[in-house]
Amino acid sequence: MVELTANSPLDLWLPISLGHCDISEIIPQGITSISPFKANKNNNYTELNAVLPHKYPNANRATGKDGNRLIWMSHDTAFLIGPAPEKITAKHAAIVDQSDGWVIVRVAGDDSEKVLARLTPIDVRAHHFKRGYTARSMINHLNVSITRVGANAFDLMVMRSFARTLVEDLTEAMKTVAAR
Amino acid sequence: MRFSGWQVIKQGLTGNKGWKPQWRKPEPKPEYDIIIIGGGGHGLSTAYYLAKEHGLTNIAVLEKGYLGGGNIGRNTTVVRADYSQPGNSEFYSYSLKLWETLENELNYNIMHSQRGTYRLFHSDGQRDGFARVGNAMINQGDDAILFGRDELRKRLPYLDFGNTRFPIFGALYHPRGGTARHDAVAWGYARGADQRGVDLIENCEVTGIDIENGAVCGVQTTRGAIRAKKLGIVVAGRSSQVAAMAGMRLPIESHILQAFVTEGLKPVIDTVISFGMGHFYISQSDKGGLVFGGDLDYYPSYAQRGNLPRAEHVAEAAMALMPMIGKAKLLRSWGGIMDMTPDGSPIIDKTHIDGLFLNAGWCYGGFKAVPGSGFSFAHLLATGNHHAPAAKYRLNRFNAGDLIDEEGTGSQHNLH
Amino acid sequence: MRINCPLCGERDLREFYFKGTKLACPDSEEWGADWDDYLHNRDNPAGVSQELWQHVAGCGVWLIVMRDTVSHVIGRVAVAKDEVRDAG
Repeated sequence: MVELTANSPLDLWLPISLGHCDISEIIPQGITSISPFKANKNNNYTELNAVLPHKYPNANRATGKDGNRLIWMSHDTAFLIGPAPEKITAKHAAIVDQSDGWVIVRVAGDDSEKVLARLTPIDVRAHHFKRGYTARSMINHLNVSITRVGANAFDLMVMRSFARTLVEDLTEAMKTVAAR
Repeated sequence: MRFSGWQVIKQGLTGNKGWKPQWRKPEPKPEYDIIIIGGGGHGLSTAYYLAKEHGLTNIAVLEKGYLGGGNIGRNTTVVRADYSQPGNSEFYSYSLKLWETLENELNYNIMHSQRGTYRLFHSDGQRDGFARVGNAMINQGDDAILFGRDELRKRLPYLDFGNTRFPIFGALYHPRGGTARHDAVAWGYARGADQRGVDLIENCEVTGIDIENGAVCGVQTTRGAIRAKKLGIVVAGRSSQVAAMAGMRLPIESHILQAFVTEGLKPVIDTVISFGMGHFYISQSDKGGLVFGGDLDYYPSYAQRGNLPRAEHVAEAAMALMPMIGKAKLLRSWGGIMDMTPDGSPIIDKTHIDGLFLNAGWCYGGFKAVPGSGFSFAHLLATGNHHAPAAKYRLNRFNAGDLIDEEGTGSQHNLH
Repeated sequence: MRINCPLCGERDLREFYFKGTKLACPDSEEWGADWDDYLHNRDNPAGVSQELWQHVAGCGVWLIVMRDTVSHVIGRVAVAKDEVRDAG
């Protein structure tokens, strides 16, 4: 039997540095979607938060840090980027393993805001979009989740099948920003 | 006044001072046999054929603005008969035959140019589908040729044959398709109708429809009440509002369709091309502007202007198909209101109210239908019987399940 | 045209998908005039209309949007799920 080696989605393509911007792949231990049941919502997520590594996030916000982050994704849905939440039970929330469905790319560097400004309609400048803020929007034609994870760092999350298109779009924008 | 070579020379030598207005500006009479609401392409051609084919001249066309100020002045001028569904096939075939003799018929230069239309296909499945459409066209007595990639490349070398995302497999060519000068069609019919005694009344908005004992007896307008024995509603872009005056709710949702024209360029595209993988089609006007359009903006609108996401989509499709036009500068863009039916085909029918007739729901196919629609609607108004080529355009076909679903997308409002 | 998503904030038209006019579904199980009317006929107003939109390129929720079809002015926007829940 041939032993097959699993590659990450962008193993062969990242990292890339151009000008004052770097993009690299973030390979999480897992991605799990968490949709709290109504009872949890009504008691302000108290029981749910007790079994999560960080607080369940409000709309447009992320909690936690690298290796264990909760990102708001939609109405009553957040993604846990990190090890699978083993303590969640059927009384808390519906959970689905999304690990193979998504790819995460970190955009970092002094020009990261300028690069994103060329690709997404939302305003990601620091006074508007602080650390811990997240948004669902678009990168060119791709549906994306954008989260600010540092002073000059963003995590972009798209469906895995869009991985190389995301890299191409980012690279094009990085080239044009670097050329200025 | 008839146009002729002699007239042009005479007027040229006498300072062009002898040209007269091409139609009268009559005051509305208190009563007509037939009133047509709507002085656009379809309304004017209906009035013309009522007078010419049926000898009826006690007719008024009521227009709330000016003649030809609606979709006949806002379309992309393509004339073709490349439909495959029973109902559409015979109708558009009939309409194209009327187009081919229209300049002589009206003594008017409508600049009808049968420069051919190409519908590109980009996959084996799409080729099979277009082959079937082509066969349906030939069965109908029209012309269709299926070109493979090599032949097409000789004919349209400027298309991006290297595009791997949307590879060009070939095209369905319709030699008798082409374009016409859209305004002139309205003017030609207007003059023809006026010469035969039809009253064309502009700045006359219908504000109410008078019905007594289940029968139409007249209309209320901004220029007073006018009595009528029969009433035809031909108001693309406002069909639902006018029908509502008669208490009717129509199977129509009005959407916006955008079109674009570039600055005048030297002759480069001598035909009509439509992309099979994105919403984009193009021709070149006689002034040199590249005239192109895409698909609906996909939300109901009466604004006669579109939004940028669709403009962006059309531009992207253009660049995917023929990158050579990337440097052309856009001169104007505009929008027209399409009355969309659930199955994407029109309505030419009587209504449940005696004497009230409806011609509506042309979706984005109204311009090429102008002669056929007028002819068939005039036939229905004059005789009370459906004209054979338009006999399937019934108002109740959605309830009856007798759809004419050309795109094969089903009978649902947001799919066409 | 920009729609103020109650969850994401004001976003451009390109992030949204138009489904149709918000209509009440007929109660009857049998085909009849009410179903024909529901599926095919529309008020198609030139003015304010109550519509269903989805924020497809954003949070994905279905929205009930009051929109003027002549001026394109967007009025009240509500999350459809909340609206239905509140209505019981």
